[in-house]
Amino acid sequence: MNRTYGCIFDIQRFSLHDGPGIRTTVFFKGCNLRCFWCHNPESINLQPEIQVYSHKCIHCGRCISVCPQNAIHKNGKSFIFSRDLCIKCGRCVDECITNARILAGRTVSALEVMTEIMKDEPFYNDNNGGVTFSGGEPMLQPGFLKTLLIACKEKNIHTAVDTAGNVAFDKFTEIVPYTDLFLYDIKCVDEKKHKQATGANNKKILSNLAALDEIAKEIIIRVPVIPGMNDTQEDMYAIGDLLKNLKKISKVQLLPFHNMAESKYESMGMEYKAKGLSAPNRESMQSFASIVSSYGVNAIAII
Amino acid sequence: MGNGSTMSDRLEALLSAKRVQTEMKIAKYGRTLDLDDRGNLIAPDDFIFTPVSNHISNGFFGPYACGMNYRKLLHEHPVTVDPNAGLLGSWMVMLIDYKKPLWNPDICFEHLHKEQKMYDIVHGIGGVQHFLADYSLGLQLGFNGIKEKIAFYGKDCDSSKKEFYQGLNECIEGIYDYITRHIKKARELAKETDNKYISDNLNKLAAMNEELLKRPAETFHEAVQWMTWFLITGDMYNGGASAVGDIDRILKPYYENDLKKGILTDEQAIFYICNFLIIDNAYCQIGGCDEFGNDNTNKLSHLVLEAVHRMKIPASVCVRVHENIDKDFYYNAVKYLLTDRTGSPNFIGDKAMTEGFMKNGYSRKLAVSRVKCGCHWCAIPGKEYTLNDIVKINFVAVFDTAFKDMMSSRQEPSVSYLWDTFIKHLNRSIHVTAEGMDFQIEHMHEVFPELLMDLVCEGPIEKGLDASNGGLEYINLCVDGAGLAVVADSFAALEKRIERNKQITWDQIDKALKSNYKGYEDIQLMMKNSDHYGNGGTVADTYAEKIVKEFVAAVKKEPTPNGYNMIPGLFSWANTIPMGKAVGATPNGRYAYSPISHGANPLPGFKDNGALTACANAVASVQCGYGNTVPIQLEINPVTLKGEDGIHTMMTFISVYLNKMGGTLMNINIMDKEKILDAHKDPSKYPDLIVRVTGFCAYFALLSEDFRKLVVDRMINE
Repeated sequence: MNRTYGCIFDIQRFSLHDGPGIRTTVFFKGCNLRCFWCHNPESINLQPEIQVYSHKCIHCGRCISVCPQNAIHKNGKSFIFSRDLCIKCGRCVDECITNARILAGRTVSALEVMTEIMKDEPFYNDNNGGVTFSGGEPMLQPGFLKTLLIACKEKNIHTAVDTAGNVAFDKFTEIVPYTDLFLYDIKCVDEKKHKQATGANNKKILSNLAALDEIAKEIIIRVPVIPGMNDTQEDMYAIGDLLKNLKKISKVQLLPFHNMAESKYESMGMEYKAKGLSAPNRESMQSFASIVSSYGVNAIAII
Repeated sequence: MGNGSTMSDRLEALLSAKRVQTEMKIAKYGRTLDLDDRGNLIAPDDFIFTPVSNHISNGFFGPYACGMNYRKLLHEHPVTVDPNAGLLGSWMVMLIDYKKPLWNPDICFEHLHKEQKMYDIVHGIGGVQHFLADYSLGLQLGFNGIKEKIAFYGKDCDSSKKEFYQGLNECIEGIYDYITRHIKKARELAKETDNKYISDNLNKLAAMNEELLKRPAETFHEAVQWMTWFLITGDMYNGGASAVGDIDRILKPYYENDLKKGILTDEQAIFYICNFLIIDNAYCQIGGCDEFGNDNTNKLSHLVLEAVHRMKIPASVCVRVHENIDKDFYYNAVKYLLTDRTGSPNFIGDKAMTEGFMKNGYSRKLAVSRVKCGCHWCAIPGKEYTLNDIVKINFVAVFDTAFKDMMSSRQEPSVSYLWDTFIKHLNRSIHVTAEGMDFQIEHMHEVFPELLMDLVCEGPIEKGLDASNGGLEYINLCVDGAGLAVVADSFAALEKRIERNKQITWDQIDKALKSNYKGYEDIQLMMKNSDHYGNGGTVADTYAEKIVKEFVAAVKKEPTPNGYNMIPGLFSWANTIPMGKAVGATPNGRYAYSPISHGANPLPGFKDNGALTACANAVASVQCGYGNTVPIQLEINPVTLKGEDGIHTMMTFISVYLNKMGGTLMNINIMDKEKILDAHKDPSKYPDLIVRVTGFCAYFALLSEDFRKLVVDRMINE
């Protein structure tokens, strides 16, 4: 286990929103969708990246003095960070005394991840608590994921994989035996809209879901409700229709858009394409849930 | 005033009278009452009590002077009767507040002063109560039985003990007088009113209390009334009987007997319990198990919980959790914690408390009988003298002493040298603390004996010895440490910044600390942004565990010089503010004189996310393990734990922490962040808002700004 490495950007303990009970969620880095609203922009690239929170910076210049690439420059009172020069060595992060510079993403061994997971092991037993592998897209690091899943099952820990499903199906067959629950994201059924919103076609995602339904133990469908992308009744009818004949769906969670990720985009020097969008209101979330429920699935609006 | 027709109307009237009292307290004391609301009423402005002095200092000392002044106070103390009440009993002031000076200046402990100050030791000399009377024994004897017992043992006693019995006798006479005056007042009010229901109620209460002066309680109603009298008269002496202990066990025989006879309904029982808790906010334990692990939960456990839930006033009821706890009872306890948002109940773990106490050489049977009865502590009813929660060592002051000691020595400074110096001073501080406690046991009885508690304990009346002076069978003295996180984080920051990263020198940090980081803001940030105890597996966590290991070993190494057993724990109570004021800046980036960390908790903001389980792991890893608590204090935003899922998550969280991880006590606030911030700005907008400050809950609006800030700063965002 100490020879299998992967790239993650966070491990969150006492996680209550990614599956049942008390969980630890391991966030894998790297995703092959480009959803314009993505709540975790630091998860998109597979490589570690430097995040800069300029409001925390006291301009002491320690980062400048240690950067081997001269990627940081003083410009009057502010600092300019040339990301194209940065080799992500993380020295500036180590040197920063205010945590204004953070390394998003680190390469870790499966053993290190398991050590962190085992810290909360006593809390997992009741109510199917356990571990969720999320991201990013955890299935883009299949070997690392499988090693961790097997390690968890050896410790009798409930496992969940949070996926957008945009991978070859054999990646699923590899891990199904060690996965108690899939949290499967469905953005929208309309192919064109999906491509526009995420940069990817949804054919594989939908066919994988149908095939996974045959072999998985349990699936929870998660639908982010994004203004202008899928917040119409038609979209919800289509989702309900898609799910109505599936057998392993224990519930469908509708998750409202939020704009709390904006500062993260800024820290990574990325453009926030969802700027100005507002969260769908409680009533529409509830009415969407009842539309999806009308297809005989248990849909809940998380509000 | 309610119309007196139903119990719920009457309860509502009692609660609204309490609300008026709270508003008056806010008006009268401003926002300075940094204590729990005990339920006492405000004394009228014209009430003046002048004690009789027997000493040149104008103070009064010794059993007779204390008993006599207590009797005088009870005789002069105003008496009020609420026509809606289901119980008689009211109280306003305590004798201890008129005891000035508190300590007899002839009995000097100057030889301890210097080191007590250096280590900022809360020494407990002059500390009162903080152990537990045996209410079952009291109920069995009744006031008449206590009176006879004093007469019996005092009759032919040794002349050296005469004064002690005189003191006890003054107390019991004072109590008779006080109850009689309430009876008289009730009869008068009954005569004055046109409302037949009220006059019947008052006459009934008067008649019941006349009986209670002649014989022990027989019914549930009488038993609760007797407990009320002992509780408030104890409080009026020295705050003494503010604890009851396992109320559901104590009252069970009366409850069951009345049910059998058909003279009591559950609604009546809840009503009486409500009355009792309104009159005095007693520390109670409910639930728990027997020595064989069988669940002790009974119908009364549910009813006490229900009473607290209905009233939503500051309460001090604690649920004792164990593997076989009644699931419905436990579910309701957690549900009320999450939905009522009054900080109640809190939860104590039977496993660690019982098994820990047994390590002092006691049987399991005795250990399970040691019940929760104070902010963070347990005691064996009527048998154990403890000084719980009134003896504390400020670890931060010990660290500060060690740091200065090292910097002024000729030896090259290093973290390992600092560690050795810290351990040397820690050991010394424990020794000084032990000497102080011996001094207390030697002399407290000459200054302010525990006369009220003595009435209802095993031993004092029989032996003619005060509880503080060996009257009780067991003496297990509390030694708590405080400020763990500040010290652990300081060690970790020094190790990282000076020795590992070589970013600063000892000389620089010394200057930075001396100047309170003024001009050294960079260094402060650097030190602040080092490892924090609580994240698990960090250098700071290792230091925290090492400090506690050394502390426990030092406390358990030997008894006090006079041979009394000491039990280690970690708790700061609300002393975080004064203890902070005693110490200058620390290497974890803390400013001089600012509060130290709370109990064994990591510093607020120690972790960005997942702080709840991380905090639980951390505090579980620093348990002292001898049956005194190391509480965990948690502030949780209600959005984290919503609905049924939230209740089940919390049930898991609490039971895992207490049943499996060795946790002892959990104090939990469910606080809406926006509401608490708004209330902090303008407390008067939220007169009903209750928060758990530490081992006690209080009206937020009654707290000083410093105290409110302490609670606000602790908020953990999940």
